[in-house]
Amino acid sequence: MKEYLVKKAWQLIPTVLGVVTLVFIVMRLIPGDATSHMAGDNLSGDALNAMRERMGLDVPIWQQYFNYLLQLVRLDLGTTMVTGQPVAKLILEALPVTFLISVLTVGISCLVAITLGTLAAFTAHKGKKLVDSVLTWITMLVDLMPSFWMALLLMLLFTLTLGWLPATGSIDYGDPLGLLRRIALPLIVLCMGQISTIARITRTSVLEVLNEDYIRTARAFGAPQLLVVFRHALKNAAMPIITVAGLAFGSLMNGTVITEFIFSIPGIGSLLIGGIKMRDYTLVQSVILVYSMLFIVVNMMTDLIYRYMDPRVKY
Amino acid sequence: MEKSAEGTLGRSASLPLTWPRLGNVIRLCKNKQGMIGLLILLPLVAVALLAPVLPLADPLASNVKAGLHAPALDYPMGTDKIGRDIMSRTISGMQTSLVVGFVVAAITLAGGLLVGTISAYFGGRLDRIIMAIVDVFLSFPSLLLAIALVAIFGAGILPVIVAIAIADLPRSIRLQRSLVLSVKSRPYIDAARMVSAPTHWLMARHIVPNTLAPMLVSASIVAASAILTEASLSFLGLGITPPAPSLGNIIKEGQPYLQEAWWISTFPGLVIFAIAVSLHLIADGIREVMDPRSRQ
Repeated sequence: MKEYLVKKAWQLIPTVLGVVTLVFIVMRLIPGDATSHMAGDNLSGDALNAMRERMGLDVPIWQQYFNYLLQLVRLDLGTTMVTGQPVAKLILEALPVTFLISVLTVGISCLVAITLGTLAAFTAHKGKKLVDSVLTWITMLVDLMPSFWMALLLMLLFTLTLGWLPATGSIDYGDPLGLLRRIALPLIVLCMGQISTIARITRTSVLEVLNEDYIRTARAFGAPQLLVVFRHALKNAAMPIITVAGLAFGSLMNGTVITEFIFSIPGIGSLLIGGIKMRDYTLVQSVILVYSMLFIVVNMMTDLIYRYMDPRVKY
Repeated sequence: MEKSAEGTLGRSASLPLTWPRLGNVIRLCKNKQGMIGLLILLPLVAVALLAPVLPLADPLASNVKAGLHAPALDYPMGTDKIGRDIMSRTISGMQTSLVVGFVVAAITLAGGLLVGTISAYFGGRLDRIIMAIVDVFLSFPSLLLAIALVAIFGAGILPVIVAIAIADLPRSIRLQRSLVLSVKSRPYIDAARMVSAPTHWLMARHIVPNTLAPMLVSASIVAASAILTEASLSFLGLGITPPAPSLGNIIKEGQPYLQEAWWISTFPGLVIFAIAVSLHLIADGIREVMDPRSRQ
């Protein structure tokens, strides 16, 4: 296991370097350099040059790249172009709420999706086609609904018509119940996006396992039906479910950007959109870098859990 | 080629994929899911194509006196704050969506077929370099990559198409590569090579046609996701920017009037939803028709 970890970490280096390089290139492709967007038309040539020098844009491109790498190694993300605040501080302030929402989404959607998927597989196995196809259709339809549209419809129903849940307001960690009410709608929207993917793969892989001999044996020994399904079948069907749940994390990140924007939650998704609107490229480049690093880490963790849980997979 | 014998035995059980012949097209029409999908999509496409000759209001013409008009005979989907007709705006936005969806799907299909085939067929260093680049692109959540690219290219339909295509292409290359790898070791490829068929012939005649079915399935899913991505970008104010209508930005414009004028955001959303569902049903239909294992 340890050897595998070390090997995996080595393999990550080129990917991480590639991501950093791509982000660097992309940000340098923006027509005109950053200073011209910041200054507008009212700065003289001298002032513009001074600004370039301060931002390290006066040296050759390869040297800029090298400086950028050195800066990242020191975990220094620079300061924002518009307000001059340290980028790392802004990101660290925005991360907790995004993290909280993401973790809750993963937890809730896995719980609901695995239950629904197992139920669908069980009913399909028993030949009750109706329950199975109703579940399958509902999950497909929910999956394809544009998330921002669903968010608006939920807002219309729960906030504007019924008045049950707030859609705006501050995030206060001292008031857990208020916090939960505040993030309830974003959570529902994000979970809807995740549930269908995970439920679908759960259904397929549980259904496959239910046809195995050892399930029939367990049934023949008189084990209760639910125990067989949840203990024996689900456990053996877990591998593909974990993989897909891990992959779903990418779409969850896409989702956080949109839901944070709609429900004005001050997470890193809002930070990103705000940065783009203000043309603050240092902020944008760092947020995208943070997102992709998280994505890489989650993918690696999925891989590790997979290997940890399945003794048949060799390191 | 040392591995081919073993590979052939191991993979002979996997699905034989067939070129979409006329018979398959007919079967697709008999397939329930594919048929429902086509029944939803074709009328929408027809309306989008016929929009210039249909008696529709100008999507940009405002009429403040008729602002926030509820759906009625004159305005079937109501009007927005400055009295623009939501139905003609929605149709105009739908044209944009369909163009984005189909062009992105075509680009990723063509690019995936080309690069994926070359990468898998020749292997070696070229393959490793291409896959390393693909892996880097896949390390970004796709919407975020599209957001970053739109930030560079600027707003408008062409930048949006390019950004989404770049974000979707790596997945398509990956898929085609894995398909070619599995086709490459089939006995009929060995047979064709034995009679010294030229490489381009092998690829065009024996390899690519046998990977086309799953690639078409993936292309129609890509079309659906591209339409959703364009709508998301425009909703965030980054894709197609007002006054040009896009389904995403009409929904965004309706957000402040959600309570008093629900129709502004509701109808464009329904259209996106309908297109996405139809493309997925068509994808399922193609999959069932092309893959004999799932035929029941």
